[in-house]
Amino acid sequence: MKILTTVKKVVDVELNMHVKDGAIVEDGLQYVINAWDENAVEASVQLKENNKAETTLVSVGGGDNTDIIRKCYAMGIENGIHIDDPALDKADSSVFAKVLQKVYENGAYDLVITGKQAQDTDSGQTGIMLAEYLGVPCVSNVIAIEVADEQHIKVSRLGDAGTEIVELELPAVVTVSDSINEPRLPQMRGIMMAKKKKIKKMDLAALGTSYDDLGGTGLKSEVIEFMASKTREAGQKFEGDPAEITAQVVGLLANEAKVF
Amino acid sequence: MAKVLIVADIKQGVLKGSTAELSSKAKAIGAETAVVAIGSNIESLIPDLVNAGSDTQYIADDPSLELFSAGPYASCVVDAAKQFGANLIWFGFSESGKAAAPRVAAQLDAACATEITDVTLDGDQIEVVRPAIANKVMQRIKVNTDQLVAVVRAGAFEATEGITGTENVVKLSAPETDLKAVIKELISDASGEIDLADADVVVSVGRGAKDQAGVDLVKELANDLQAGFGASRAMIDGGFMAHNKQVGQTGKIVAPTLYMAIGISGAIQHLAGMNGSKVILAVNKDPEAPIFNVADYGIVGDLFEVVPILREEIKKVRA
Repeated sequence: MKILTTVKKVVDVELNMHVKDGAIVEDGLQYVINAWDENAVEASVQLKENNKAETTLVSVGGGDNTDIIRKCYAMGIENGIHIDDPALDKADSSVFAKVLQKVYENGAYDLVITGKQAQDTDSGQTGIMLAEYLGVPCVSNVIAIEVADEQHIKVSRLGDAGTEIVELELPAVVTVSDSINEPRLPQMRGIMMAKKKKIKKMDLAALGTSYDDLGGTGLKSEVIEFMASKTREAGQKFEGDPAEITAQVVGLLANEAKVF
Repeated sequence: MAKVLIVADIKQGVLKGSTAELSSKAKAIGAETAVVAIGSNIESLIPDLVNAGSDTQYIADDPSLELFSAGPYASCVVDAAKQFGANLIWFGFSESGKAAAPRVAAQLDAACATEITDVTLDGDQIEVVRPAIANKVMQRIKVNTDQLVAVVRAGAFEATEGITGTENVVKLSAPETDLKAVIKELISDASGEIDLADADVVVSVGRGAKDQAGVDLVKELANDLQAGFGASRAMIDGGFMAHNKQVGQTGKIVAPTLYMAIGISGAIQHLAGMNGSKVILAVNKDPEAPIFNVADYGIVGDLFEVVPILREEIKKVRA
């Protein structure tokens, strides 16, 4: 089985973020591997360990992605492709999905595993759109994957009514929740080996496409402005005798906030 | 005139409140409103669909639609969108909506935006606002196509009181079954539990509860209030609570009237799932816990001491 995993470089959400003149202030930001993609990498490596599988990752955009790709190598991914092109800076989910479609078509993969969303946009569209463009089945928000036979995998999905058990015919796309696993920490040996591994770098022309072909020149939507989030103000905080302050707060909930 | 197609949010045979919230917003922006309802044995919901503010009801009612499958579900929405000539196709905040919206957009070659909190129409120009980067910033997005598929964030729109519609039922033919993604089984969430997504009060438990006894203690508070009972990531990973109880950026996004964070420190990912709540109460031992930065009312104290008192005091004021 050939598994393709997607990995996006995203802004570290733990850091403070500021907006000025409709744009995010770059100063002080750091970039990391998208947390959900780390779960996708772990899921791929586990499938490789428990079954016969070859693992490849692809990262689209992001400039210098060497660090995050090496981290995935150290976790156990075998091959890495980085598609970068200055034209991709403004790309939306649909364009990213079409880039991945090209990568997929060049590699004859059986299974694509992506994180269920990227933490910079929280959109959750790319993996599902990729499956639509490829015409292959897709299950999103997956919390378990097992190989059923050579042609099928069985996945568990957290749905609205409960956990759905779905059998998927390969090739297929799954997007994973962070509930699926706990990504491993790379070990020293893996880190050393990762440094020697090559990363296959390509621009859109090398991939056999162009920004125009991918729909990039006619973006369906574009972010025209970033704004600061409405932040909540810290309210009243009470310290002291538990019985006293709890009674006081319940009184406020009833009489001031009027929730009881 | 803009046309909004709303995908009815039906859970266990019941029409959820988001449908009326979305049609209220559609009417507020001067749009014509239709709803598409997908499921099995759902004809009895037609009066509810009308009362939720729709003027046309597209009904896909077929035994094959009893269990959710994103492919057939999306096909029904695409069918209704084409028949209605929808410019805007809105899903309420749900896992089915998140799974189906990108498919519908890809099939219609439309723009797609998830978790929107506002939408404006200026002539034919559609703009939406949505949070990004774990709610740290908001994005204003200009739509360049004449069609937008969107998932509306929980609590973004309010239902107008006394909203109503007219009955005009259009039956949709059953979609093809997805033979490549076959649902083998649905392990239902425990029945009788209050749905986090539309509970008026949500009580969530975090690491401060330590173990099962702590979780059970906080659950009693939730039971008293007939509240939805959720948890932060730590308690899910610890195996104390089911995955579907996780409140946060990656789990359920809730916006109840009252949110009680009990023993939750307030990691950014958790805050992203609940900071749209109207009133937030936090109980935490650590006076520096970030949860106090968003809480309207904070009690600094040990939850094992505070929760029993909280239950008693609430009983008193509600009596």
